[in-house]
Amino acid sequence: MEWNIPTLKELEEKIWKCTACGNCKSAYDYGPPPEFGEICPPGVAFGFEGYLASKGKIAFARGILSGELEWDEELVDAIYKCTVCAGCANQCELDHKPYIPEIIEAMRRKAVEDSVGPMPSQKKIVQSMKSYDNPYQGPRRVRTDWTRPFKKAKKPIKDINKEPAPILYFVGCTGAFNLPVRGVPVATASIFQKLGLDFGILGQNEICCGSTAMRIGEADEFKRVAEANLKTFRKLHEEKGVNTIVTSCAGCYRAIKKDYTLSSDYDKMMEGITVIHTVEFLYNLYKEGKMNFSGGLPWKVTYHDPCHTGRHLNKYKFDVDGTIAWKDAYLETDQSECLYDIPRELLKAIPGIELIEMERIKDNSYCCGGGGGVMTGYGDWAAKNASLRIEEGMNTGAEYMISICPFCHYNLNEGSKRIGSSMKLYDLVELIDQVLPETEEA
Amino acid sequence: MLAKREDIILDELASIVGKDNVTAAKHIRYAYSYDLSFVKPKMPDYVVMATTVEQIQDIMRLANREKIPVIPYTAGTNIGGLCIPERGGILLDLKRMNKIIKLDVESHYAIIEPGVSHAKFAMELYKHNLRWSWPVGPPSASVFSNALCHGIGGLSGRYGLNSEEITSMEVVLPTGELVRVGSCAINPEEWHSVLPLPQLDGLFKGWLGTSGVVTKLGVRVHPLPPILKVFTVSCENMEDMYSYMRNLGNYEICDDLTAVSWWLAQVPIPYPYKPKPDNEPEWFSFATTFSWTEKEKQAREEIWEMVVEEEQKKGSSIKKTVYPEEALKARTQLPSKIVGTTKNYCKQAGGGISWPGTFTPAKYWAKVYNEWKKILIRHSLSPSVRATNYRGVHYGMLRAMIPFNKQNPEETENARQAIIECLRVDLDAGGIPYKPPVDFALEINKRAHPGYLSLLKQVKKLLDPNDIMNPGKLAI
Repeated sequence: MEWNIPTLKELEEKIWKCTACGNCKSAYDYGPPPEFGEICPPGVAFGFEGYLASKGKIAFARGILSGELEWDEELVDAIYKCTVCAGCANQCELDHKPYIPEIIEAMRRKAVEDSVGPMPSQKKIVQSMKSYDNPYQGPRRVRTDWTRPFKKAKKPIKDINKEPAPILYFVGCTGAFNLPVRGVPVATASIFQKLGLDFGILGQNEICCGSTAMRIGEADEFKRVAEANLKTFRKLHEEKGVNTIVTSCAGCYRAIKKDYTLSSDYDKMMEGITVIHTVEFLYNLYKEGKMNFSGGLPWKVTYHDPCHTGRHLNKYKFDVDGTIAWKDAYLETDQSECLYDIPRELLKAIPGIELIEMERIKDNSYCCGGGGGVMTGYGDWAAKNASLRIEEGMNTGAEYMISICPFCHYNLNEGSKRIGSSMKLYDLVELIDQVLPETEEA
Repeated sequence: MLAKREDIILDELASIVGKDNVTAAKHIRYAYSYDLSFVKPKMPDYVVMATTVEQIQDIMRLANREKIPVIPYTAGTNIGGLCIPERGGILLDLKRMNKIIKLDVESHYAIIEPGVSHAKFAMELYKHNLRWSWPVGPPSASVFSNALCHGIGGLSGRYGLNSEEITSMEVVLPTGELVRVGSCAINPEEWHSVLPLPQLDGLFKGWLGTSGVVTKLGVRVHPLPPILKVFTVSCENMEDMYSYMRNLGNYEICDDLTAVSWWLAQVPIPYPYKPKPDNEPEWFSFATTFSWTEKEKQAREEIWEMVVEEEQKKGSSIKKTVYPEEALKARTQLPSKIVGTTKNYCKQAGGGISWPGTFTPAKYWAKVYNEWKKILIRHSLSPSVRATNYRGVHYGMLRAMIPFNKQNPEETENARQAIIECLRVDLDAGGIPYKPPVDFALEINKRAHPGYLSLLKQVKKLLDPNDIMNPGKLAI
């Protein structure tokens, strides 16, 4: 399988499109009223220009490419001290805008190629993936621990390796291995059962989507698991009738939907298969009248937009042949695949829920602070970042912060604990599960 | 073994601001070594982030004792290389001093710190239906630095330069001494005016950070009337445009009265130069007006109609026109992400933007523009020129925004040469460049009265005896 994952050198022309105007440093919308907010977690934390937004990262990239900057511990540390949240990219208007996360990750790929990256604490991710096919050093048998309540309740979840089903629920490593967020797969499977959906899981045969490896520059490890997954998806489609892959994990969703398209075989392998986030999948059922809520949750909640279901799903329009502006000019951003309104509509549909928005939302959402390998590489800082987001949530008066990413969920929870906040974290599916009645078919 | 001087300095800086706020790491210094302009990259030796006035005083005392240059930095968005160190030293990053200390909504002034961005200021002012003279810079740019460096904005037609809006200031001198000028010097709570005292604020405005570190600024803010009306015209030449702008400017009804050449009206500016289509006008003008009532707006409109009619009777090519929508947004929805992010300025060229930016008597605009056009086209660069009246009609800003491909050294040098040529033409015609890079400062000083240069040197020596403040930028 061939992969079109660009090197830093291949992105050099894009890198020179940056003017260093610095608009990427903070979020701003004219309005009216005008809205301003900090957008860059490393910029907020470390302050120096190099850390701050894409302007700073582009400076590093230029220096590395020109040879003016040579690898040393501090430089490697600096390029990994970024959550790759794309908040900076959202502000940019120039031709390199669509490539900003790619440029940051290409620097990391170069660090790995030059044997100076990733950060020591992140190397265990790669080792764990090689040993266990997940980044959490979890034995494969643990991957299905979350299914025990279903077995106990005599509602076992179908093993799609053995039985056909049109829907594959791709659980993701975070939901499966990370105890504080196991409620996410539990709620998802519970909802699916209540709705009478014919779905299955890969169980112990599920392997990591590769997102974390890709984010830290470990392209080879990403390719290994991505190729295996693409082959599995194809096989499941052909042999078990799978035509829909549903995932509750924003990282997996982003990886399968976007990173996997860098494979030359993507279209062939994914033909006839749709990848969808659980929330969008449920929203479609809700709109079709197939999912109705009863009872209610008299909660004041606020909603955190994960980067991987938001800005990372931007699609960009380019002037491919130069007939509109000039060749390869960035023209505009298409946010139609970003999950901004869908989770909010679902939240509002739950009886009793009062949604109070934070200041920074949707495409200008402030990152939970754990992405891009930061949670593993810099745990304390990740939690500190999350505390800032929790404080923003607390300022709304909400008692609960809701999201649709187990990774954000975990990190925000750490942030909440860090500052002794009473803010409780929930995934949207956990709320839906609470107000979704059992059906007769189930 | 004796510690190296650099390490001793670093330790001492760390003892002032904390070890996390100072660095000599090359990759960080590198990130401060260049900006948007053609100015050659140069690195500072240290980067320090200060958060208090006391820290700045200690840093200045250390720098003065050790004779180390200090370069004050807020956002680095100027296009004159003003924060690129000429002789290394301490780059003093003030972005974390970003508080709006006071907003007096009754008396219409604010006290701000250096790191307050236009975006932040805009959000705060809007809550109180107030406004500032927003420049067409990035929203992340510093309100403070723009004002100190004689920046202009969307209210310059009415109130003049943003430096004329300064009401008081607090400054750390290169020796570390803390001084105040304006009303806050007499009563620490009052930041309403620099007058009627001697205008000592002039010691720090337009000095490009070479005379001290300004740490607080009082600035006048203005009410925001609800009704925006932009009058737009086009014409075939600068002579006609000047006549129209002088005529309309006489009535003082505009917040901003600006003309832009066809090339500057494009989003983005064409790079390299491409000829203007024959059926397109060479000049557009937008006259931005704000009114409190419909009747007031109608009165302004009546004046504008009269001016257009008068100009047309003279045989002028002026005619009412529709200004390109995105370009108009960029000029009226400020702070703007369109012009501000340089989407319009250098998106097509890639990476670089500089200007011959000048204050030029309006009566010379046509003469200068016609020469600039020849020079720029000869260098395959678009004559993307802007002219703006400042508070009346007698003079204004004349500048050409010149994008270039920064990845290519030849193209960068081509732009530099063209800009310098343009600058000489303007200087010889009676204009003066603003926010000048060193290349420009040299040209200014060549023409300067010896007494002016002598006074400049004496004042500089008085304030900065060891020449540590952003040395080299004045080219004296």
